Amino acid sequence: MANVLWLQGGACSGNTMSFLNAEEPTVVELITDFGLNILWHPTTGLQIGDQVQDLLKDILAGKVQMDILVYEGSLIQGPNNTGTMNYFADRPMMDWIKELSEVAGYVVAIGDCATWGGIPAVPPNPSESTGLQFHKKNKGGFLGADYVSKGGLPVINIPGCPAHPDWITQILVAISVGRIGDVQIDDYHRPKTFFTDFVQTGCTNVVNFAQKVDGGFGRRGGCLFYEVGCRGPMTRASCNNILWNRQSSKTRANHPCLGCTEPGFPHHDLKKGSVMKTMKYMGTFPKEVPEGRTKLAYYMEAGFQKIMPSNKTVQETSK
Amino acid sequence: MSVKELNISPVGRVEGDLDVKVYIDNGKVTRAHTQAAMFRGFEKIMAGKDPQSGLVVTPRICGICGGSHLYCASSALDTAWGTKLTPNALLLRAIGQASETLQSIPRWFYAIFATDLANKKYADKPLYKEVVKRWSAYVGETFQIGLTASGLPVQIYALFGGQWPHSSYMVPGGVMCAPTLKDITRAHAILAQFKNDWLEPVWLGCSIERYMEIKTWDDMLAWVEENESQRNSDLGLLIRAGIEFGLDKFGQGVGKFLATGTYLHKDMYNNPTIEGRNDALISSSGFFDGENYHVFDHMKISEHVKHSWYDNQKDGLHPWDEPLPTPMKSQTLHETDFDNQYSWAKSPRYDGHAAEAGPLARAIMNANPANKDHQIQDPLFGDIIKKLGPSVFTRVLARVHEAPRIYTFIEKWLSEIDLDGEFYVKPVEKDGKGFGATEAARGALAHWIEIENGVIKNYQVMAPTTWNVGPQDGNDNPGPIETALLGTEIEDPSDPVEVGIVARSFDSCLVCTVHAHDAHSGVELSRFKL
Repeated sequence: MANVLWLQGGACSGNTMSFLNAEEPTVVELITDFGLNILWHPTTGLQIGDQVQDLLKDILAGKVQMDILVYEGSLIQGPNNTGTMNYFADRPMMDWIKELSEVAGYVVAIGDCATWGGIPAVPPNPSESTGLQFHKKNKGGFLGADYVSKGGLPVINIPGCPAHPDWITQILVAISVGRIGDVQIDDYHRPKTFFTDFVQTGCTNVVNFAQKVDGGFGRRGGCLFYEVGCRGPMTRASCNNILWNRQSSKTRANHPCLGCTEPGFPHHDLKKGSVMKTMKYMGTFPKEVPEGRTKLAYYMEAGFQKIMPSNKTVQETSK
Repeated sequence: MSVKELNISPVGRVEGDLDVKVYIDNGKVTRAHTQAAMFRGFEKIMAGKDPQSGLVVTPRICGICGGSHLYCASSALDTAWGTKLTPNALLLRAIGQASETLQSIPRWFYAIFATDLANKKYADKPLYKEVVKRWSAYVGETFQIGLTASGLPVQIYALFGGQWPHSSYMVPGGVMCAPTLKDITRAHAILAQFKNDWLEPVWLGCSIERYMEIKTWDDMLAWVEENESQRNSDLGLLIRAGIEFGLDKFGQGVGKFLATGTYLHKDMYNNPTIEGRNDALISSSGFFDGENYHVFDHMKISEHVKHSWYDNQKDGLHPWDEPLPTPMKSQTLHETDFDNQYSWAKSPRYDGHAAEAGPLARAIMNANPANKDHQIQDPLFGDIIKKLGPSVFTRVLARVHEAPRIYTFIEKWLSEIDLDGEFYVKPVEKDGKGFGATEAARGALAHWIEIENGVIKNYQVMAPTTWNVGPQDGNDNPGPIETALLGTEIEDPSDPVEVGIVARSFDSCLVCTVHAHDAHSGVELSRFKL
């Protein structure tokens, strides 16, 4: 049994939509079988207006216990650190979050906006958005580097744009069944159980990557790393192990990984030539190479593979 | 009798931050103000960036309508760059758009709308017990089935786009994917599952074919009473309870409707242009003024800001021409002076008129006698709007009426994909202006782009919620939701569920609205730099 309050700041509701796709458990099962009690949620909450304000006040006064505070969306601080670009329940959202984080058992940031600011925080960051405990790659964010919740943990970050429903539900289940002690987090506060392997692990084009055979849009087979900016080798997430919508993943659908579980997303801040394109030196060498490799070693190996006449595209047939 | 003021913050279940202020006189709303309470500034973020930024950024404006934003973003670049689109590319984009909308029907109905009918306000109605049993949040019998089934259509989206929400698989020149036979057969199977789990047994109580024979309101009423299965289906219950609870008696709105249309025909938009768009649509566009239909022209759209928190802008400019809107200081609902600025939303107008966007607008366009052979020809809502007029009830009925048709569309389009055909033609990038539009589940969505020196100079998004939730215009005429709230009876000011029901019948997604409005500023900033 755990009481959950879910709030949205500078959000698109994408993480909520992703959460509603959950299976094993579904959102309904999470509530009926795992005893999750959702105190309020902006999409499904039944209370409105003063009823919500009263609930928030009761939580702050200790009359209602809030075991988990889930936050989706960026923390909007604009203009000039007033937070008035995002009013919620008649106050700046940031004022509510400051106070609620002090009484929360655990704080879970869901999606890139809540974890490190996400797209709203891309320069010029018009809404002065930041994440709960990180701003982009830097620790701190809204609550500060030293923040820990009453449960003794810093903000648990479940990044992704959006986060996969399993990443969300499994962490909520871990808290509600008393397994939170087993959840280990990495330097970016991501649960290691989901964010240790790379997106490339399990990609159906991994042979083409190894043999340096290029792919492209509207084609079957070939690796998307060289031309259309796939970040699968540099992005930690389980997208190709725990499939999306139980069916597929970006790279399996010939869609370059955008690197959305890493704090740099959108990488290179959308500058010219960086969207759906591989940034290169001298038109040839990828500026970024797979994690854990030196550029020189990678270029030598790639060059060698490129001239191997036996390297042919591994592809599926149309029928 | 005294006039009471009621401040409702937040309204909730409207996807985003909507605050509403209503003035109640003798139990009825006499004046209403809608306040969009959040600003992110996405279009400002895109100014000066890579021309394809919209493919990544705009789906993240609204996670509910992400596929629809992608449909617009890729279309806007198609018209700006003069791309070629193969039949396969147009089919796969249409399937993505249709899957997202089909998902939204049960998800919106059960999670957002129907739970209000289980409110104690209706406790003395004969059908109340049945409504509570089925539609109570989380525990209702069909709430669970419907919410779970809503995940199925987007599994089809994931087969072609990798994931839902937030794929970027539609790109200028086509789509990223090149599906194989097993993807197509899988999609057919998932679609059938959706039909067998929910659409036929729970929702319709009959076959899709039987339901689609309904052409008039009398047909619909006869269909409900035809047999127990249809009468006791969720749609049968919605119609019976909707009328018993009086949902047809409030929430009328402005009575003018706008649709930008969607589903570009696979053989009619292979050379995308703004001018050729209307005739290539399967779900037609148009403006209905309450009596007559008018051909849609995006140049007749303008935005007003007199009551929006933006400084230094004239009213009535087309999105391509809007100057820098400087964000102003905003206030809480309690502190707001409604004679001045009171919302982050702007007020879009078509040919000077406030217009309702959404499924009801689409359903009315589908009844346009001028629709062509390849376009939807469905007279039902032409008849319903004459007999019942707009209301919460007709709006909801229009939304759910789409499910069977979308089902048949996806099935047909899947069967038309040529697995040995082309899916993508690499475009030549160039400077220029573009326009792309679609119908998101909740209504007309449009993007305008201007590319100069290889980067975005101007990017404008106008979302359905912008049309519906916008504040008063330059002449102090209220927006559609503000109008729809007028005359609404508020039974219990401490639980003003009626206001929520009206707002939710429009399925407002405030995050969209906020976006739609702001992002002009960065754009203009870059203009100043030139």
